Amino acid sequence: MRRGKSTTSLPAVDERHLRNRQMLFLLIAPSVAAAFFITLVPVLLLVRMSLSSVSRFGRIGDNVGLRNFARLMADPLLPDIALRTALWTGSVVGGTLLIALPTALVLNRRFFGRRLAQFLVLAPWAISVTSMAVVWRRALSDEAGLLNRLAMASGLIERPVIWLGSIPASFAFEILIAILVSVPFSTVILLAGLSSIPSEISDAARLDGANAGARLGHVTLPLLRPFICVVLIFNIAYVMNSFPIIWILTQGGPANGTDILVTYLYKLAFTLGRLDEAAALSILMLGALGVLTVLMLRMLERPAHG
Amino acid sequence: MARLVALLLALACMPFSSGLYGAVAADLRFTAGEYSGFTRPFLERVARDYEALHPDTHIQIEVIPWDSYLQKLTTDISSGDQPDIAIVPTMWVSDLAADGLLEPLDALATPDFKAKFIPAFLVPARVNGTLLGLPAAASARAMVVNTDLLQKAGVQAPKTWDDLFTAAKAVAALPNTYGFGLPGKEVEVDTYFYYALWSFGGEILKDGKSGLASPEAIRAATFYMSLINAKATEPSPTAHSREDVFKLFKEGRIGIVFAYPMLVPQLKAEAPDLRYAVLPFPVQTQPVTLGVTDVLTLSSSSKNQKAAWDFMQFLYGARYRAEFDHAEGLLPVTVEGAADSYYRDNPDIAAFAAGLGYARFAPTIKGWSELSEITLRSLQAMYIGQKTPTEAMTDAARQIDDVLARR
Repeated sequence: MRRGKSTTSLPAVDERHLRNRQMLFLLIAPSVAAAFFITLVPVLLLVRMSLSSVSRFGRIGDNVGLRNFARLMADPLLPDIALRTALWTGSVVGGTLLIALPTALVLNRRFFGRRLAQFLVLAPWAISVTSMAVVWRRALSDEAGLLNRLAMASGLIERPVIWLGSIPASFAFEILIAILVSVPFSTVILLAGLSSIPSEISDAARLDGANAGARLGHVTLPLLRPFICVVLIFNIAYVMNSFPIIWILTQGGPANGTDILVTYLYKLAFTLGRLDEAAALSILMLGALGVLTVLMLRMLERPAHG
Repeated sequence: MARLVALLLALACMPFSSGLYGAVAADLRFTAGEYSGFTRPFLERVARDYEALHPDTHIQIEVIPWDSYLQKLTTDISSGDQPDIAIVPTMWVSDLAADGLLEPLDALATPDFKAKFIPAFLVPARVNGTLLGLPAAASARAMVVNTDLLQKAGVQAPKTWDDLFTAAKAVAALPNTYGFGLPGKEVEVDTYFYYALWSFGGEILKDGKSGLASPEAIRAATFYMSLINAKATEPSPTAHSREDVFKLFKEGRIGIVFAYPMLVPQLKAEAPDLRYAVLPFPVQTQPVTLGVTDVLTLSSSSKNQKAAWDFMQFLYGARYRAEFDHAEGLLPVTVEGAADSYYRDNPDIAAFAAGLGYARFAPTIKGWSELSEITLRSLQAMYIGQKTPTEAMTDAARQIDDVLARR
């Protein structure tokens, strides 16, 4: 960073450099402090809770070492729920990317009504996930709900269907809704990525005789890779911890059949009143997400053609 | 410049100095569950009335939906912000008492004040003989039938569970209607089972262990399953919450539901043309109903206990009590309230109140919500056909015994 000009003597540069650094520290101090208080303090409290015995209403008692983690590992429901969380995260993030990528590619082209199409795809982003879930609950669970009326009007079914009647159907709907909710944000990121790719590169590839498929596979997608990584990192973190859709539609039921880790965490803490085990579970989830994020960031830093 | 800084400092300190003055006065925080849209405005009005008489006291009312109340209370208390006064379900009292969060009321309440209450309602709020809450709301459950649908199906209102099976099947045979409304989702899934459990002679807890594996409990579970298998309930009970079932009842599409008194004002408002009757639960071995009470509690860590206790007594003014009970569809908790002709003249409410004589209550033990969740989970597994009634009940009993043994 040393860019001393010939007119300034060396010590002066050093001094300015030092002052600059002090200034930099001063400038980032508030955000570091805020980050510390917002994230680190609760995490430390959580660690303390996970190693203690905690009463129903949060009174922290004796240190019990790893007992809470051991109890958690012995919970017969947890393996299924962890697996379902992986299925949930994988399907929602995968499904989102499968829809968002072509959508972004289409929206990046120039066509009549493109602005309107962009608006329509992105508008749902402005709606809170919770209200979206409430609307879907009404659309699905009522016999005179939107979906039943549409399906009956179009002659697909003769009698109203109880859409949330079985575990597989409920979970499938929850995944679909989560995909719908995640698409706008992912499309925005990918669109930003696409617009950062100079059209000259694509034109050059065309002159070299590459067809559309080859241009997509060898030019656009590799250049888009960092943005796809960003979409994956954000979505994995959001989706894995996504509470409202499942909670509002089925509360993780029937019989824990649609529970994922975060809904079960809520039950563990507030229905079952085992705040200590809930703290342990959130530490584990935080760890898992942290590892995943670091791995994804590594991928992001690796050069596209390395 | 210095003057400016001084001015700014003075301005910044102003809220604190006024806070110092305010410390003489009492600031009270009062939380309650939301019985209906009436709860908040009513409590606000009582608080403002009290403040008018006691200008030093400021009362902050927080009305919270029942579904998230336990979570709210847990987070408040664990962050050291327990409300001074709280109306809570009686079944939370043991857990609150175990952490020493509730102030014993025996010394505060004069004999005259205690005599205001129907003695039976003071019992559930006692833990180890100590009075920890005042009865704030009471309700009993009953069966509500759609008399038009029963008539159309050519059946009488059921008196026994066998009658209920026949009637529900007959109503279900009518076009576009369901016989018996069985909620299998969200709140009170287990409660709907206890009605049958008690009626068939079973117990939730017996000698410190779960009573769900008993032959009576399995018979009750088998009976509910036979209703589902005979298509006498709404399809997929696990997709229907209690409110969903009540909605179908209001639409005139369900013949028989078990309900709380609050359903009556809702029916009058939302389905004025629906013809219904409030009746006792079907009887197998003995008449039963569930009694539910909520209690008014005082925080043991409140800095303004004297003012809080004063306001708690103020809430039991006869005028307020009657207004609250009538509007929320609750039953009286005070002797004076029970003498109100309203409970004799209004046949629907009288039918609910009739059950109070033989009402049973959910056990007041520590960790009740966990037992309730285990029962809910097993019932849902049975309703969707993952487990037979025997499997579901024995599994639930085993898990509940594990939890009880762990304490």
